Amino acid sequence: MRLFEVEALTVGITGSPFPILREVSFYVEPGEVLALVGESGSGKTMTALAAMGLLPFGIEMTGGDVRLEGDSLVRTGGTVERSAAQMSMIFQHPTSALNPTMRVGHQVGRVIQINQRLGRTQSLEAAVELLKHVGIPGAKRVARNFPHQLSGGMCQRVMIAMAVACQPRLLIADEPTTALDVTVQAQIFDLIKSLVSEIGCGVLFITHDLGAVAEMADRVAVMYGGQVMEESPVRDLLAKPRHPYTRYLLESVVREVDHRVEDIGVDFALTGCRFGHRCPYVHEKCNGFPPLVEISPSRRVSCFLRTEELR
Amino acid sequence: MTLLECRNIHKTYGHGVATVPAVRGVDMQLERGETLGLVGESGCGKTTLGRVIVGLNAPTSGKVVFDGEDVSGRLHEPEFRRRVQMVFQHPQSSLNPRFRVSTTLREPAILLTSMRNEELGQQIEQTLRLVGLGIEYQTKKPKQLSGGQLQRVAIARALMSSPDLIVLDEPTSSLDQSIRSRIIALLKDIQERRQVSYLFISHDLSTVRKIAHRVAVMYLGRIVEVSETEALFNDPQHPYTQALLSAVPSIDPGDRSERIILRGETPSPTALPVGCSFQDRCELVHARCGVEAPLLQETGPARHVECFAVQ
Repeated sequence: MRLFEVEALTVGITGSPFPILREVSFYVEPGEVLALVGESGSGKTMTALAAMGLLPFGIEMTGGDVRLEGDSLVRTGGTVERSAAQMSMIFQHPTSALNPTMRVGHQVGRVIQINQRLGRTQSLEAAVELLKHVGIPGAKRVARNFPHQLSGGMCQRVMIAMAVACQPRLLIADEPTTALDVTVQAQIFDLIKSLVSEIGCGVLFITHDLGAVAEMADRVAVMYGGQVMEESPVRDLLAKPRHPYTRYLLESVVREVDHRVEDIGVDFALTGCRFGHRCPYVHEKCNGFPPLVEISPSRRVSCFLRTEELR
Repeated sequence: MTLLECRNIHKTYGHGVATVPAVRGVDMQLERGETLGLVGESGCGKTTLGRVIVGLNAPTSGKVVFDGEDVSGRLHEPEFRRRVQMVFQHPQSSLNPRFRVSTTLREPAILLTSMRNEELGQQIEQTLRLVGLGIEYQTKKPKQLSGGQLQRVAIARALMSSPDLIVLDEPTSSLDQSIRSRIIALLKDIQERRQVSYLFISHDLSTVRKIAHRVAVMYLGRIVEVSETEALFNDPQHPYTQALLSAVPSIDPGDRSERIILRGETPSPTALPVGCSFQDRCELVHARCGVEAPLLQETGPARHVECFAVQ
């Protein structure tokens, strides 16, 4: 059974006909790391927020299903309900995701206190243990500090401690190292990997960095304009990208590009394929919405080009 | 021919007990038409050094020699300002939101050159074309432009006074990967046409590798290694450079060498250890490192390293 599955998830602004996320589908197997990769504005974070039931006011889920271990988490009215033992999230900016007015030990303790129904003192002790476990030197002393007294890397370790406090089945990491230096990033990747194998949870790893994908993930889903373009094992995708957008993305990392091409930035076609107006292979059919089609086992692509042409 | 030379630059912020030595004795040279990449993690002093060079901060001690003349005390003079320009990290906050592009470009030319009226208009059009924007962009305001277009305007502004040196402070770190590659290609193209030198400050090693002829690595206010780009990336000599390079995740599956994961964090610049500042995290540490600080010494052709173990 799949650990976590998102099926045809559609999210939009209340009252607007244009969806922000359009039929987003992917899955995470037990113990697996799935990377969700894309440029800014591609809908990676929105997908995570929808899956967590944390959509901001005015944005709602209009269709699709989110399932954890086979059970749908979607309740009537499109709200998602989940517990900390099911799913938890590491946010992008650790310094702004932590409460600046609470000592970090207390913040981690609260998670344990609420979810495991322990007493205040007991949960604080458990929190110190947890801080030690995520590699914070002098955890007892650090537990008494406020977030502003800690470095970015330390704050991210505190965030991670909070996220794994209840041993979740699925961990969502939203650009966990974007705000950090590379040497600290290497430390955090190491920590996440070791915690994941310890707890045995699945990971939804959101990033814009293809290097981080190669480093961390087993499989990858590439997003553009709120649409999943390609879903594939990491190794296969890096060796042979199929979707025209994935090719474009990989080329921009590796190859020299022509700087005279106009910068388009975040500008998606509203009807038809979201990559349509930038795609070199565009044709009439692209005015319709391309479904995610399996082109080989474990590999799906959302493109009208026939399977043979994508090879 | 050497265009810029820094001799033993120090820059200390604050007074009394709260002094932070941001730059601690930097020597470096930059040739005409050359790109020097300045890399290091946050807080290592790379931006401060850049600001000292363009004259935005006065050095506490040391000399800046530009084109054979000591300019340390004359950094505010228009002739020096004309010849040394800067591009900042966030174009959104470094361009005046109420100025149209034409006004933004006119400012430095009016302040620093004798160009007026028609000649100025021509220069604006020519510069816009050089950075890959059409002349129709003259009437736009910053909020109408994307991040990549804004950075092109910022580069155009720096080019208006025909400088010999441009200090680029993280010019691509707020941009998406595909846009980033184009800005790099643009900068290279401009360098070829105008023979301008760049000091390219960045924490992103893969970007630096694409553009720099030589790279200087900074750690805690000192340059610990400087070398030609390919030599540095293929054979890093300083233990910090080795750790820094190995921490960068790569998308090449063949490049899965052992990661060096550094212990702990960068020590606070207010409480530096005696001797080498990297000693607490270094694999090659020995008795001498705790007693005296190593100096930058030549270890090969065009290569200088600041480490006893390598020298």
